[in-house]
Amino acid sequence: MLVAFFESVKYVGHLLPISFLRIFLGYFYLQQALIKYRGDFLTRPRLADQMAEWLPASLAPNWFKVFASSQMIPNWQTVAFIILGLEFAVAISYIAGYVVRPIALMGIILCVLMLFISGPQSEDLYKTFIAIHLILGWVGAGRCLGFDYYFFKRRRGIWW
Amino acid sequence: MRHFVLFLAVIFFGLFLAVLNRSDSQSGSGVPTLRVFGYASFTGKWGAGPLLKNEFEKSCNCKVEFIEGSDSGILLQRLKIEGESLGADLLIGLDQFDLAKATSEQSWRKLSLGELNVYESVKPALVNSYFVPYDWGTLTFVARKNESAKLPESLDDLLESEWTRKIALEDPRTSSPGMQFLNWVVRSKGEQEGFEFIKKMMSQVHSFAPTWSAAYGLFTNKQAKLVYSYSTSPLYHKFEEKNDDYISLKFKEPLAVQFEFMGIPEFCRNCDLAEKFVNLMLSPQGQKIIMEKNYMFPVMKGVAENTEFAALMEEVQPMDQVEIPSSAEVDRLLKKWTELRRGDIN
Repeated sequence: MLVAFFESVKYVGHLLPISFLRIFLGYFYLQQALIKYRGDFLTRPRLADQMAEWLPASLAPNWFKVFASSQMIPNWQTVAFIILGLEFAVAISYIAGYVVRPIALMGIILCVLMLFISGPQSEDLYKTFIAIHLILGWVGAGRCLGFDYYFFKRRRGIWW
Repeated sequence: MRHFVLFLAVIFFGLFLAVLNRSDSQSGSGVPTLRVFGYASFTGKWGAGPLLKNEFEKSCNCKVEFIEGSDSGILLQRLKIEGESLGADLLIGLDQFDLAKATSEQSWRKLSLGELNVYESVKPALVNSYFVPYDWGTLTFVARKNESAKLPESLDDLLESEWTRKIALEDPRTSSPGMQFLNWVVRSKGEQEGFEFIKKMMSQVHSFAPTWSAAYGLFTNKQAKLVYSYSTSPLYHKFEEKNDDYISLKFKEPLAVQFEFMGIPEFCRNCDLAEKFVNLMLSPQGQKIIMEKNYMFPVMKGVAENTEFAALMEEVQPMDQVEIPSSAEVDRLLKKWTELRRGDIN
């Protein structure tokens, strides 16, 4: 598996720049997740506060606003745990280049969620991230400098 | 697909164990924890909260933990949504517009504080036995000195072309100063004329920020020339930043007054500690901390004397009567404002 990891540069070397982008984004997500984990993201209702503050002005559809007010804000601890878990998942997947395609889909969903519940100051950032996740998923960025190449070589299919 | 599901399961299981391990090591200290729910500029490290916490922890044999809400307008919304699960023993930062709503939406403990030696201007705010004011202030527009040749002296001056898209205001639906502005205009001009004025103001406003801090940020970033804030805001820049460039404007209309209240929810767990914290906030020591860190006037006499706050308190011209409006009245004004705003956007 380790051989395949480095061998990928030889056979899918054209994806090398994209794989650096993938690792960078993974590192960014790891940093964000660690800040949240070490801070009080899970213990204090900062997320609920943020949602209560921005939902009225959010571009989110009405059904989402109703769902967020009735389910997400009261259960903010569960939502915070899921968001943190997804951030760790995106981070580890992108750094290792493992299951990048389905994780990129999760990344898009996560970004859309954050776009709806965050203020306008981070709107541009999340929109850019959506585009990057889409590209990474589309090209299968885990195939170069990543463990996805090992599985892609043996199993093919759309998941690698 | 199996790999993906397994991968997610491992990550979430790992995180679950890590969180479980962390909460085990944090619990079990044995001392009671007083949870105080307040807005960010009070509970933040630059606010009055941490100093009051240190003072309180010296004698209470307890821990004080802050639950942070971004703006006072959001506190009630959060309390309504989260209720008891919020775990707050004391709520700090409601203003007079929130009181009727707070009383109708939540049950509160009666406060027995005895005779309070407060300023005359504070007495009208002592009508409610569930809430007690801990500071007060007047609101006006704040500007930078020397940025404009002629600063506004009345509400009508705000409509001049120099201020077009240069005024930072707060959204009255989410921010307490925003509601204060709406009430100030309506009370100064009468309801019909007031709303006509607000309609004209829509084109003057840079944006209606959801919180006071967001609006003030627009002003300090020089995206706006005027911001609706507290008369004491320039004192903050003077003392904290040694910057004397800011000025609070005098208007021919008497200024809106804001009282900030605290109250103990009925579902409090450490209710006695909450009452003790209320007493600390009303003590000379607590009032001094609030005045110097929150940049608001103290409610108790004998604290502001011989300070710049006392001079400013003498200088400002607040409205004569401070009324505590009913929840229906606040909702009616907000509904009218929202219709105007919607009309302006469309």
